[in-house]
Amino acid sequence: MTKRVVEHATCLGCGCACDDIAVVVDGDRIAEARNTCALGRAWFADGSVPRETRSGGKVVAPDVALADAAKLLGRAERPLVYLAPEISCETQRAAVAIADRLGALLDSPTGAIAAGILASQRRGRAAATLGEIRQRADLVVFWGVDPADRYPRYASRYAVDPPGLQAPDGRNSRRVVAVDVGPSRGAADADERVAIAPEDEIDALALMRAVVLGRGIGDGTVARVATGLATQMMRARYVALVHDAEPSPRGPPLPLHPDSGEALIALAQALNGPARCALSSLRAGGNRSGADAVATWQTGFPFAVDFAPGYPCYRPHAGAAVLLARGEIDIALLVGSPAGVPQDVAATLGQVTTIAIGPRASAAPFRPKVAIDTGVAGIHEGGTAFRMDDLALPLRPALSGPSVAADVVRALAARLTKGRS
Amino acid sequence: MSKARLRVAGGAVYDPANEAGADGAIRDVCIEDGRIVAELPRDAPKVDARGMVVMPGGVDIHSHIAGSSVNHGRRLLPEEHAADPAPAPPLADPDAIPRSGTGGTIPTTFTTGYRYAGLGYTTAMEAAVAPLAARHAHAELDDTPIIDAGLFALLGNDDYLLRQIAAGEVARARDYAAWVLSAAGAYAIKIVNPGGVERWKAGGRNVTGLDDAVGTGAVTPRRILETLADAANALELPHPVHIHCNNLGQAGNAATTLETMRALAGRRAHFTHLQFHSYGGERGKSWKSAAKEVIEHVNAHPEVSADVGQVMFGPATTLTADAPVEYLLHASSGKRWVNVDIELETGCGIVPYSYREKAAVAALQWAIGLELFLLAKDPWRVVLSTDHPNGGSFLSYPELIRLLMDRGYRDERLKQVNQKLVAGSTLADGLAREYTLSEIAIVTRAAPARLLGLKDKGHLGVGADADVTIYANDPDRAKMFSTPRHVIKGGVLVVEEGQLRRAPTGRRLRVRPGYDPAVTRDLKRWFDGYACVSFENYPAVELGE
Repeated sequence: MTKRVVEHATCLGCGCACDDIAVVVDGDRIAEARNTCALGRAWFADGSVPRETRSGGKVVAPDVALADAAKLLGRAERPLVYLAPEISCETQRAAVAIADRLGALLDSPTGAIAAGILASQRRGRAAATLGEIRQRADLVVFWGVDPADRYPRYASRYAVDPPGLQAPDGRNSRRVVAVDVGPSRGAADADERVAIAPEDEIDALALMRAVVLGRGIGDGTVARVATGLATQMMRARYVALVHDAEPSPRGPPLPLHPDSGEALIALAQALNGPARCALSSLRAGGNRSGADAVATWQTGFPFAVDFAPGYPCYRPHAGAAVLLARGEIDIALLVGSPAGVPQDVAATLGQVTTIAIGPRASAAPFRPKVAIDTGVAGIHEGGTAFRMDDLALPLRPALSGPSVAADVVRALAARLTKGRS
Repeated sequence: MSKARLRVAGGAVYDPANEAGADGAIRDVCIEDGRIVAELPRDAPKVDARGMVVMPGGVDIHSHIAGSSVNHGRRLLPEEHAADPAPAPPLADPDAIPRSGTGGTIPTTFTTGYRYAGLGYTTAMEAAVAPLAARHAHAELDDTPIIDAGLFALLGNDDYLLRQIAAGEVARARDYAAWVLSAAGAYAIKIVNPGGVERWKAGGRNVTGLDDAVGTGAVTPRRILETLADAANALELPHPVHIHCNNLGQAGNAATTLETMRALAGRRAHFTHLQFHSYGGERGKSWKSAAKEVIEHVNAHPEVSADVGQVMFGPATTLTADAPVEYLLHASSGKRWVNVDIELETGCGIVPYSYREKAAVAALQWAIGLELFLLAKDPWRVVLSTDHPNGGSFLSYPELIRLLMDRGYRDERLKQVNQKLVAGSTLADGLAREYTLSEIAIVTRAAPARLLGLKDKGHLGVGADADVTIYANDPDRAKMFSTPRHVIKGGVLVVEEGQLRRAPTGRRLRVRPGYDPAVTRDLKRWFDGYACVSFENYPAVELGE
């Protein structure tokens, strides 16, 4: 069998959403994904996914599984609809419609980074799309993150290496500062490295902002570090301040302070004046950012939306993890990849009746009552996904998968609607 | 209810675009298969419109309802959404999935569609979309029911265009504009603060006049305006360039606005939210109205059209591609602020705001908008908008209509506002004009449709889209226009007896101008050099080549 190549595919292995991937397909397997990083190669892998439809542990026809799912949801008293990763915006839109119809709680992995989202709702943001950082930034500050770990092509595509309008010599046109916050190290390829103890992080950011605003800050150790950093940022033309918005891979206790997001926003906003500054908040892949965008345009809130009163209510402190732990949820509809569900939610899903629709649903560790395997958005399914900076990109599937997630969710919605009328 | 036939019987019809559609003449409006027809069989289903006022469906020429900037704004306003829940409407079709949502100054998508229809509006233009983000805007419009919608593509601070202007490549700039409109699935060209956003993104100061250099002396706001206005006219786009001038919101900016109009003399051009560009006085020192000078120029130049961008007292959200303006508003107000620089194209700035009648500048802004309306000689060229949600929500249109139609009410309201800056304006001197129902029909539907080049909208002639709004003829015009009795969209009775009952999918309005395909080869090279999105992934819609 001859090989074929799908050009300009978008990789959702992380939030960079690189859209220059050439996927080489041999038969029904991916032979190679060119231009990918190691993370992207692992994400595409050979493209094989399970293709099962199960109900009550048995393999059943798709119609039977959908009927069983509709019956379970129809009886639910306090349902949860959870938007897990690896689904397109089209699937997310259909899933939010089900939450609306059921009066369910709607949530997504964004619940795990609630502090940062709430901070951006209190203060706003000073941000840029990734390509603008490439064009403009002459100073890049990596705050407790080395993008090489979880966002491998960030440096080569956006913030450090490529030439831009105002950085014609690429890396040589930019100064890179790595800030190590305790064990969270800044980028390895830095012109300067500064260490801050985790307990000093919030103070340091507040002091930097004070310097930017022209206030005197004394001369303690932290103040000296803050003055040095703030002064170079004020002298730059355009600062890219880069931090990781996702939970630490090292698990709790978090080495980064949960309120650092707010302090970073405030600093980035203050730097617009003496200089220009964009805060670049790194997000993981699987179209997580799309879940925020879709929830926002359909409900007005980015995550933790409770439809129980008959309209969307924001419950940022009583989302999926909290209600599951309290035992308030009786049935959960999980749409997306179970493997991408944060630990605090995944741990409790096994205690309720679950319906899982998504990639590798049948392999979910929490043993769904109904499981319908679908393809992975971007590998088997087309549609739209969001880059970490909220830019919508098209998906170019290389393989045909099992059921298409958006179709399955819409079919389920239709059954629920008919059940009502 | 069948979509096929419907007779709107016995209403007073205001159809100013058609000679036959005289002022409030009592007649039937006949609908078949989504269009207006001359006759129907006697037994066709009827909507009883006796004693009521019948108009074409409303057409909003300038609104911000969908896309990345709008969604950044939504995300910023959880408290507004919590305060304005919107339960799902009880739709008649058992298979329809009615959707709940939330309102505030930036409602959710479904609620936006329902509320526009509930207001008697059946068409709306999303007025500012970065072409790079058009895919997002289309996805939101797909979730915005009932209304037909188009989007305006932001040009004038985009790197590729500025390069063509710098190189004197006028034809290539035109081909590029045509390609972008096609790729974005857009309806018109929108220019926001030409050159100023690019300068600010580059770390410099906003432009202050039409001849400031943008990067190179060969590129100025004047050259950007001329190039795009000529492109739109050469491409025979249904709507000319839609211009948000330099210096928005600055005291003394009327001089820039008038200079911009003179720079484009003889060319068709639409000047948007004119109120925000009609300030006299001096930057940083004094404010006064310059509405009279600006509107007199518009009155005397038939190639110019405008929408007012009225400020209404109450909550608003300022949201614009003119990012340097929002930076200043944040710096001066200390309010929450979103800024997103959008790669190689434009900016985005958002600051929640409230216009208070006891605040001197807000009162002046309110008065200036009314002056523009009341001094405009030709309602076909000066139409209604609040630049939703910048000057106020689209839900405030009925109140605005009352201000235009009811002098007694207007004068009462005028007495209640801060007089400091309003004194000496033509409004304070007393403007007696009261808009007639026919003029309201012009500025809210017939004229916006005509200015947009939407031949099948804004009127009730045979062959027009069957978008019809039926109002109870209440002397309280705010009440009358806020709660239409019936609304028909594409022949479907969407609002029946004041209740939203059906929510069909709206159409997307877009243009597909021709261009020399050579431009795509040059563009591809530029993409390879600068862009962070593949050339092949940039178009939001099928190009159909």
